[in-house]
Amino acid sequence: MTTAPENRGGMRPTAPQNNPANISATGGAGGKGTQAPKYIPGMRSLGSTGVETMAQQGAAPMAGNPVPKVQAPTNPMESMMSEIIPLDAESMDDLPISDGVDIGRGRGSEALPSRLTSPINQDENVALIKRYLPDLMNATRLPGAPDSYKQFVNYLKNQIL
Amino acid sequence: MRWVENNFFDHLDKFANSLGYENYEIAIPLAMVPWKSPEDRDIFILTITGNEVQGGSPDTFTAAEVK
Repeated sequence: MTTAPENRGGMRPTAPQNNPANISATGGAGGKGTQAPKYIPGMRSLGSTGVETMAQQGAAPMAGNPVPKVQAPTNPMESMMSEIIPLDAESMDDLPISDGVDIGRGRGSEALPSRLTSPINQDENVALIKRYLPDLMNATRLPGAPDSYKQFVNYLKNQIL
Repeated sequence: MRWVENNFFDHLDKFANSLGYENYEIAIPLAMVPWKSPEDRDIFILTITGNEVQGGSPDTFTAAEVK
């Protein structure tokens, strides 16, 4: 009966790491960077504190993660969207952003759809203001209420009542 | 209870005075928007009016009464 040669442990001249043909002439790529020192709790029981161990790691840092950095993918839409700027005042058919409002540049509220300016909606708004006018007036009596707010509530009161 | 910033009444003060009293029907629903901060609201007002925000500021908070 024959037994296979022992290949466990010890120095074996035939092991791959001992074959000169396996040694790179240019050396390995090596790791990228080094690992940051890490605090290890409970080191005092082994003869040094966690802080001391952390300092030792800083003096002789361990090799970092060999995984190369991956370049972030680029968005092909960026080049196509570069001319569109959010809130660009002139980006929508050359209309100013205040188009449809009774102040600022552009058309006034006459440009809005009729359902937004219908008399029914205006009646609803007036009814809503009438309902909450007492609360609006109460707020004018709050300490620190600005004069501008009080003047506006006076205007509302004259318009609605 | 005191007048504080960034609530409905403060928003109403700023919108009514910035857009004009006659536009109160626009100012009231805008004042009901839960603005993230007075700064966000003021940027919105500045964007649509092109002018500085009007209305009370802490140095103008006085104790006048409604007639």
